[in-house]
Amino acid sequence: MSATTRPALLARIGGFTFHGDARPVLRDVGLSAAPGTLTAVLGGSGSGKTTLGKLLAGWLRPGHAGSLMGSLELGPERLVFHGLADDPRINPGAWSRRVGFVPQDAAATLSTVRSTVAEELAFGLENRGMPRADMHAAVAGTATLTGLTALLERDPATLSGGELRRLAVGCAAITGPEVLVLDEPLASLDAAGAVQVRDLIRGLLDAGAAVIVLSQAADGLARTAGHWIILDGGTVTASGPPAQLMGAPELARSGVVVPDMPSAAPSRRDTSTGRTGAAPVLELRTVGFGYPAGRGSPPEAREEQVLRNLDLAVDPGEIVAVTGPNGAGKSTLLRHFNGLLRPAAGEVRVQGSSIASVPVGRVAASVGLLFQHPRDQLFERTVLREVSFGLRGRLGVEASVSRAYGALAAVGLSDAAGTHPAELPASQQRLLALATVVAREPALLALDEPTVGLDRHGLDLLHSAVEAATARGAAVVLVTHDVAYARAMAHRILELDGGRLRQV
Amino acid sequence: MRARLHPLTALTAAGSVAVITVAADSWLLSLAVACAAGVLSVRAGVAGRVLPAAAVILAPLCLSLLMLHGLFFPEGHTVLAQWGPARVTTEGLGFALDLASRTAACVMVFLLFSFTVNVPDLVSALEARRVPAQFGFVLASTLTLLPAIAARLDRIRQAQESRGLVLRGGLLSRLGAVRLQMVPLVLALVDDAGNRAQALDARGFGIGGPRTSYRDVADPPAQRRFRAVALLLAAVAVALRLAASWPAAGLS
Amino acid sequence: MSQQSLTVPAPGQAAGRGRRLLEIAGAAAIAATYIFLVLTQPADIASGPVSFSALVALGGFLLGAVLLIVAVLPVLPTSTLVLIPVALVLNVVLGQLMGTTGLPFYFDSIGTVLIAVLAGPATGAATGALSSIVWSFFNPTVLPFAAGAALIGFLAGLAARGGLFRRFYLAPVAGFVTGVLAGVVSAPIAAFVFGGTSGLGTGAIVSAFRAMGDTLLAAITKQALISDPMDKAIVFAIAALLVYALPRRTTFQFPFVRRYRVLAGNAPVAAPAPSKA
Repeated sequence: MSATTRPALLARIGGFTFHGDARPVLRDVGLSAAPGTLTAVLGGSGSGKTTLGKLLAGWLRPGHAGSLMGSLELGPERLVFHGLADDPRINPGAWSRRVGFVPQDAAATLSTVRSTVAEELAFGLENRGMPRADMHAAVAGTATLTGLTALLERDPATLSGGELRRLAVGCAAITGPEVLVLDEPLASLDAAGAVQVRDLIRGLLDAGAAVIVLSQAADGLARTAGHWIILDGGTVTASGPPAQLMGAPELARSGVVVPDMPSAAPSRRDTSTGRTGAAPVLELRTVGFGYPAGRGSPPEAREEQVLRNLDLAVDPGEIVAVTGPNGAGKSTLLRHFNGLLRPAAGEVRVQGSSIASVPVGRVAASVGLLFQHPRDQLFERTVLREVSFGLRGRLGVEASVSRAYGALAAVGLSDAAGTHPAELPASQQRLLALATVVAREPALLALDEPTVGLDRHGLDLLHSAVEAATARGAAVVLVTHDVAYARAMAHRILELDGGRLRQV
Repeated sequence: MRARLHPLTALTAAGSVAVITVAADSWLLSLAVACAAGVLSVRAGVAGRVLPAAAVILAPLCLSLLMLHGLFFPEGHTVLAQWGPARVTTEGLGFALDLASRTAACVMVFLLFSFTVNVPDLVSALEARRVPAQFGFVLASTLTLLPAIAARLDRIRQAQESRGLVLRGGLLSRLGAVRLQMVPLVLALVDDAGNRAQALDARGFGIGGPRTSYRDVADPPAQRRFRAVALLLAAVAVALRLAASWPAAGLS
Repeated sequence: MSQQSLTVPAPGQAAGRGRRLLEIAGAAAIAATYIFLVLTQPADIASGPVSFSALVALGGFLLGAVLLIVAVLPVLPTSTLVLIPVALVLNVVLGQLMGTTGLPFYFDSIGTVLIAVLAGPATGAATGALSSIVWSFFNPTVLPFAAGAALIGFLAGLAARGGLFRRFYLAPVAGFVTGVLAGVVSAPIAAFVFGGTSGLGTGAIVSAFRAMGDTLLAAITKQALISDPMDKAIVFAIAALLVYALPRRTTFQFPFVRRYRVLAGNAPVAAPAPSKA
């Protein structure tokens, strides 16, 4: 077998256009992945990474989802597409057995019809008619590889983010594919979860699979890759070994986040304390909170006190970062700021008065809370209507429109005012959600994991929006597991640990 | 755990009992069946869910039947009381009793089944019987999605309230709020469904050909024989009823 | 696990004929059952034979619904199949949400209608029938109405194909007509299986017709003609509202929507940026 010389997967994409779109999303993309090697496709938001990955793995089928000009070569077999009706039609089940894909939203791969992790892993084998004894062996083997052995009898719906990602990788890897495509495999994982996924990828490479990672950060995982492909605006602007591309202008232009690059903002903790001595915008006094036993939303919080005797004061113009591992209760803390959760003990004061009996919708005038999932927050037909929502009653028509346009300009969405929010790429949806909060000019901005899913351009816009807010005297509390980011942005870093905040 | 009823045995039992009860057309039998189902639900430890669910379904139906046939039954002859157009007749009350008890029996029996059956076992058993895998998918996926949707709707409401949406006021503003909540929900569900379709295809769901099952559902021979007998009894009951009532129902 | 070809042949037409026959058989079973029940309805329901009618109604309508499901389900593309659980969930959740507005209607078919508009009459019919079967897990009394639910889904898909969702004011009209037909078809179930309706309000209307001397089936049919068209008109209007609130990228991804130009306006052109999804 000359597997070491021949690429497992070779793709030449002249152009790929979704049905109904006028312009191609991908053009002139070439990719070759050899067995046992790691290839990183790096690109900013909307660069076409995900489309490329799904195309390689048969999740988007030429002819079915859009029209492809080019060729896909899997081992000795070569399929050529001309964008015509008599092009070959990919059999998704057979293709994906040999090219696995793990989407960014790992939950999307779950069948939703299997009640244990073991059966979920076996789902793809059942469909292909594998005898039961072989299936048991394959499930046991994949569970060992992915570190899921102890979780085999758990309900997939109860897994944590990192466990879910490993299950998704296991579901794709169980058929023994030659190629595995992973979309943002480390996104929104904490340090422990990221280490486990990186070990898993190492194991897959050792087993001889060609692994392709799609990422918008040149992070530790991407740096272990043998080959980089930089995607920008749907086409390859540079490719080569990481060492050669690390400082390349194409990388900087693409919007890829490079963690070690000097940040736009100098570390703020050196410059000033941020505390002004003015009356605090937000005050938490001896707050205690626990989810009711039995049906707590986060499973790790059951019966246990999530917040304990917690004190916090945030002054105008101050930026406070709250860090801590997944499940420490960071989001729970944030939900106390505007009354979505009410403390069992203690009290929450916003701008000097208690919010104990004020409805959330009213507190929202002074506290702007931004959630992790922008889709839940957006509901209007156009971007402009979305940002203007609730402003008209307070400001009048003209002022509300100019305020809305101002907020859109601040997040770089001025050109998209007439677009349906759901048609924006995920990162721009996050920025739009940020704009809806900023437009209301709240006294306190509370941001839950604001950096997740943002590329470099998005991070810069987020940074300037936070700057502008503090400049007019607003306070900012941001919750993040990204300690480096917290260090760069915040005046103070607090760690949530054992239900209390600790200065870092 | 494996010694329990095979899901198809439970389903066959529930279906046969319901059919026989309908065919027998006797309120005494119906009430006996309903009570038996109630007792079984207590013994299975699911009475706390079966009885309230049955009450919610049956209470309005029984009241409606009592009002309808108890007061207005033109076919009735034995009049017990009369106010204007409303006549209380023995026949009307009997008819209401017949139908209410019959529906109660069927509802209790089927609720007992659905609250005791292990859905993954049922899906697995159906697939092993060559029921299209798509049916099992729709059944199991819906039952998985329902609780997840409740949680998602809650997240949407929280996010929207955080943006200053105050849920209050008259019918129109409530309708407006419902629309605002529906749009992200429907959108997310349709989007997720698109992703799930790609994932299912990739995992060979639509591939056709023979399928196997990871889950092993024990099906003892005794239960197979029981199912055959139950189906036979139900068929006999239906045949007898059809034969007995056919002339009476003929074109007249 | 056999090694399968990486490609599949272009879809043929041959397999479709058997399915079409099953579909027709399903529809025929429902229609024949209805006609039989109306012609043989007992003149004197007090003397017991209502049990006979109940068995015929249950058997015929369920057979029809099952035939429709068997005909449609195995050939649905996966992208359409995954929408059916979504429709079922929406039937339940949107029904409950609308319930909070305090309006006196059921709204238990919004999801079915929505999916029928996006994916066509056959999918709509299967969705309606399956919705009843799955929902009967929690409420067994909806199971006998599977045929009526299938009819609603089918007619909604037909209305969408005929372009009635291109203009907003036509959608409730289509809903009204659908409600008339679905109400009439479901009436024998209500009459012979349940002996009435499950609500006190609807029960009062039936009582009024009974007081005027109507047979039970006639009274319930007339009641259905009063409440069902109104309910379905509102449901169709809500479904239309939702369809137009969705981004065009989402709605136009459905081949049925593109092929029959179900919605007003043109397919989206020159999308602003490539989608992440």
